[in-house]
Amino acid sequence: MDFELEWTPEQEAFRAEARAWIEANVPSIPDHPDPANLTREEYELQREFGRRLGAKGWLYPTMPAEYGGGGLSMELAMALEEELDRYNMPLPPYYDTGGKLGGIAILVWGTEEQKAHFLPMILRGEIRTWQLLTEPESGSDLASVRTTAIRDGDEYVVNGTKIFVGSSHGAEYSWMIVVTDPDAPRHENLGWLMMPMDLPGITVEQMDLLFVGGERGAASGIKNTVYFDNVRVPAFNLVGGEGNGWKVAGTHLEIEHGLLRSAVRDDPLTERVFDYARNAKRGGRPLLEDQDVRDRLVDFYIDAEVTRLLHFRNYAWRGQGKQLTYEGAQAYLYQKRGQLSKARAVLDVMGPQALVEAPDEWAVADGHVEVHQRGAIVDQHPGGTAEIQRVIIARRLGIGRDVREEPGRLR
Amino acid sequence: MDLLLNEQQRMLQSTIQDLLRRDFSKEMLVAIDAGTVDVAQGWPALASTGLLGSLVPEEHGGVGGSFSDAGVLFEELGRGPVPGAHFSSGVFAALVLQECGSADQQSAHLPAIASGDAVFAVAVTEPEYGWERGDVQATAERTPDGYTLSGVKLHVPDALEATHFLVAARTGGESVGLFIVPSDAPGVACRTLPGLSTGLGEVLLDGVAIGEDALLGGASDGWDAFERAMLRATAVLSAYQVGGLESVFQMCLEYSRTRRQFQQPIGRFQRVQDHIIDIVNHLDAARWTTYEALWKLDTGRPAESGVHMAAALASEGYYLACNAAHDVHAGVGIVREYGLTLHTRMSRTLYHHLGSPRYHRRRLAGALGLQPGLS
Ligand SMILES: Cc1cc2nc3c(=O)[nH]c(=O)nc-3n(C[C@H](O)[C@H](O)[C@H](O)COP(=O)(O)OP(=O)(O)OC[C@H]3O[C@@H](n4cnc5c(N)ncnc54)[C@H](O)[C@@H]3O)c2cc1C
Ligand SMILES: Cc1cc2nc3c(=O)[nH]c(=O)nc-3n(C[C@H](O)[C@H](O)[C@H](O)COP(=O)(O)OP(=O)(O)OC[C@H]3O[C@@H](n4cnc5c(N)ncnc54)[C@H](O)[C@@H]3O)c2cc1C
Repeated sequence: MDFELEWTPEQEAFRAEARAWIEANVPSIPDHPDPANLTREEYELQREFGRRLGAKGWLYPTMPAEYGGGGLSMELAMALEEELDRYNMPLPPYYDTGGKLGGIAILVWGTEEQKAHFLPMILRGEIRTWQLLTEPESGSDLASVRTTAIRDGDEYVVNGTKIFVGSSHGAEYSWMIVVTDPDAPRHENLGWLMMPMDLPGITVEQMDLLFVGGERGAASGIKNTVYFDNVRVPAFNLVGGEGNGWKVAGTHLEIEHGLLRSAVRDDPLTERVFDYARNAKRGGRPLLEDQDVRDRLVDFYIDAEVTRLLHFRNYAWRGQGKQLTYEGAQAYLYQKRGQLSKARAVLDVMGPQALVEAPDEWAVADGHVEVHQRGAIVDQHPGGTAEIQRVIIARRLGIGRDVREEPGRLR
Repeated sequence: MDLLLNEQQRMLQSTIQDLLRRDFSKEMLVAIDAGTVDVAQGWPALASTGLLGSLVPEEHGGVGGSFSDAGVLFEELGRGPVPGAHFSSGVFAALVLQECGSADQQSAHLPAIASGDAVFAVAVTEPEYGWERGDVQATAERTPDGYTLSGVKLHVPDALEATHFLVAARTGGESVGLFIVPSDAPGVACRTLPGLSTGLGEVLLDGVAIGEDALLGGASDGWDAFERAMLRATAVLSAYQVGGLESVFQMCLEYSRTRRQFQQPIGRFQRVQDHIIDIVNHLDAARWTTYEALWKLDTGRPAESGVHMAAALASEGYYLACNAAHDVHAGVGIVREYGLTLHTRMSRTLYHHLGSPRYHRRRLAGALGLQPGLS
């Protein structure tokens, strides 16, 4: 076993090429601890950078080159991400559920024509997509969605409401789970649609939430309610065929449950919290003289490290083609619960200053700490709640059942 | 032995329940939270109930009620949770004035506190946050006719609403005095801090000149007396947190019955049940330790250990119950208009107020004689 990658000269050469290219092309965008503050202009800069990455196949580097991906190995993708990370730039550089979730579902379940049509625009960054699963009456029980897509000639007519979806600044496409046959039995009544978001009958309304967490740097900032009122979409856009939506969803849900993390980096919050602790005083004395404070900082560190290692294991095993079962949900659950216990450790250590939002002279680490205090609460729910991760772990381990549940198809 | 509310306490309870229905509906609380309605707008309604004088003696225009009575009132306010300076002024400042102030200072200010004409906030904590004597670094320099106050007071609840501050400042060496400072005195600047907390402010004291009579009790060191007042106030604050816990518990119970997934109420899932059982356990642990602590204060029994235990349990319990409630509610819980985040913010805001859970545990150890060198 080896926890470090040994880079070959060829890989080092690729890294040098990537570094030079990134330096020449990366836009300078101010750090926004709360992604809701990303301006339209800054978003456009991110998109433009995404298109430039996409033209080289570097936006989704491990996806097949024939559809606009990079066809790169896991190692080269990691090198690329590490180089981008030097500029605090994640991959993709904006919120997009296309290349890592929806795109893989299309790759697995789409027809040749659908792959040729949808994948290049996703993988080259020409469109970004939102994920539209959740509805007012269907959260954990995703298979119970009510939004209908009824066939009418060469089109489907879509009616319904999706909530907690998307981001700020719109999207060109969304992918969604819909009911194609209201009379069919559960799990056999669903379809999976690529939805152009400029069609008549679509209304997007921003939700007022405590906070919206998300992937570091590429967080979405905002979530919306999306209404569909007799939206007519070409039948071509239904991926996987009528009645197969649940199977298609099984693919991207499998990834969302803890396999979404890319090359795994240290949580930058750790250094920020340690920095604060090293410099803070109480009653004129260094804060670190307090043994309780040191204990809480170590609790924080352990949560961060175990989360990092579980994701690292999953990333490495997935790259080596090993079949994962419960491990994705396990890492995701650990991440979610770790965020909560870390938030409390930070509040214990810092006091109410952890609650001060930027811009303010008292905000810690430019506001990253306050954002984490809110984000830790919110991060419990996306991609399936903590309880649902436990449901999945139990089924995959075969707790109380002789037959283990099979993971969703990834290829 | 009688663990039920008495007749008079049931009346107090229904007074506040009426107030909540009439003036602090969930829609109103959400609007205050969002900043579309000023929190000060609720002040006349609060004052009209007489609750601001609950712990002020009758001779100063108050009710002269018991701590248990105040507990009943503040538990109901905590259910909202109703924000505002009711606790800061009507409980904390009123008790500090009684414990530390001279007879003249008491008759000058307690009637206005009881009527709500004056709003007092207690400005003790600073950037190097803490509730111990050694955490006070603001200074009070002696001048020929009084003092000059300088320093930064941070995370002061209700600073923006206050007409007066009770400011803790060093008067020399380790001595800490408490000063009455009008919020409009030259050199005083206040603002509310942005973020997840609610109603916490910054109070800048830039060479604030005050008269000799501003020093509470004329005592250059009033810290021990201040701590005695703080201990009593803490028990009432715990009651407010118990009210918050109760409200969070009720929200979860209701939601567990009405929200359906997989063709059944989510309350049928044992994972959801476990969260709500944790919440009710936090609630009852905080509730009964708080009630007993209030009773000890009322009956002149040694109350130190009881108050510290209740405070640790109420602060932690409220915080953890909000986390569990977010698990139970998932998405809808973070929608601001739903109302759960009012408690989430309040539980974080109060977590360190009048001492963190860690502070109270340390004090509890001391009260139990668990200190090295004592036998
Ligand atoms: C910040 C954020 C971002 C999001 N982004 C998206 C997005 O981009 N696209 C999208 O489609 N959705 C998104 N969601 C929605 C998210 O997927 C749902 O909130 C989540 O799946 C839970 O659904 P729910 O909120 O309806 O809760 P419910 O399903 O109603 O859950 C309520 C409670 O019941 C429990 N429960 C339900 N079923 C079971 C069971 N079988 N066993 C045990 N316990 C159970 C839950 O764990 C929870 O405690 C987002 C949510 C948030 C908060
Ligand atoms: C964001 C999000 C992500 C989710 N990800 C997953 C996921 O990766 N895997 C997953 O199983 N659920 C996923 N769910 C749904 C959630 O995990 C459900 O609690 C759980 O899957 C049970 O759902 P069920 O519809 O199978 O209901 P149940 O009532 O438990 O099952 C009904 C029947 O369907 C069968 N069944 C179960 N899974 C499948 C399947 N994939 N295809 C066909 N039949 C099936 C069961 O064996 C059973 O006979 C997700 C939900 C959300 C909100």
